[in-house]
Amino acid sequence: MPLANTPTSVPVVVDEDKCIADKGCTVCVDVCPLDVLRISDLTGKAYMKYDECWYCMPCEADCPTNAVTVNIPYLLR
Amino acid sequence: MVFEPFEEESDFELLEENLGDPDPAVRRVAVMDLADTADPMAVPLIARAVSDESPEVRLQAAIALGEFDGLETATALCQAMQDGDNRVARAASDSLSELKDPEAAPPLLTLTSHEDPKVREGALLGLKQLRRPDALANGIEAMKDPVAAVRIQAVGVVGYLKAEEALPALISCCRDGDPDVRKTAVGALAFSKSSHARDALFAALEDENWAVREIAAEVLGRFPLGDNAQRLIGLLDDSYWQVRVKAVRSLGKLKVTAAIDRIGSQLDEVTSNLRKEAAAALGEIADPAALPYLEKLVDDPDPDVRKNVRWALGQIG
Repeated sequence: MPLANTPTSVPVVVDEDKCIADKGCTVCVDVCPLDVLRISDLTGKAYMKYDECWYCMPCEADCPTNAVTVNIPYLLR
Repeated sequence: MVFEPFEEESDFELLEENLGDPDPAVRRVAVMDLADTADPMAVPLIARAVSDESPEVRLQAAIALGEFDGLETATALCQAMQDGDNRVARAASDSLSELKDPEAAPPLLTLTSHEDPKVREGALLGLKQLRRPDALANGIEAMKDPVAAVRIQAVGVVGYLKAEEALPALISCCRDGDPDVRKTAVGALAFSKSSHARDALFAALEDENWAVREIAAEVLGRFPLGDNAQRLIGLLDDSYWQVRVKAVRSLGKLKVTAAIDRIGSQLDEVTSNLRKEAAAALGEIADPAALPYLEKLVDDPDPDVRKNVRWALGQIG
């Protein structure tokens, strides 16, 4: 799977101000069926490590703080 | 990665400790982790979080309690339902609707006359699924509530109990000023096969709201064949295709051969849903008199209609 080099251009974007992964939350990482989300060792926040997405949405829907946004490509909407 | 089941008592101790953390995000994550254990031992701890000073933690607790059942869960949810934060109250109400254990009823029964209509509505919503006969009196009383949303849930509680003694109250709700209450009440009459219920359904077929007529047409299809057939045939002139669809389906279920020509005329309708259901109904009636109508639709542009037509032709043989 291709590594996501620029986190802002990947489909799953995490608002670091809202993310509480540094407090122990791992919901988005746990629900992702492709296992492409990770908790950053640097910031303690969730981020998309691999640029691969099914747009299945549970990471966005289940996030307790609404920190995750999945940007669905126009042609898939 | 090795999956580690949550079974250590020390894990609970850690989560309990985290519930007292000064950081609300840590407390919130502790609530989430407690819910993930699916262990009833977590309920008292989550119940404590319902009184947390942070609305986010209280919200998480209200959501988390939806994973559990029983009296203690219901008591905590009843408290959460009275929370000043609307999100917490709504989440508690959603979680209450997941309760299945009849033992959870007592705290809900006390809240059906609460001053806040949202609380009354949530309590009735929770009671509906529990199907406790002792909720009947509360349900019937709440059917007179000034708030329509509460009356709808009350009709649900009473309807789920399928009690003949509640029939007069349900019939009275079929004449409610609010169309959603009428719709729910008409749907709730499905359990009874009495002439009183049938007459109320006949009256509902004349309701000004199409959704009420639609549900009445559907419910009448579950009654034994009688006067309802002629009433349902009359409904095939309704201006709403949704109502006609249900009338057609009911006539099919009741196998009303006298309705074949009228159902056949629905096969010319623009709405393919209606053509599809009409074809299915003619198949259910399975009378050769329907053949000319069905053969016209063998090449219908809608594949679902063609499928039902083939099935119907097979039924007639």
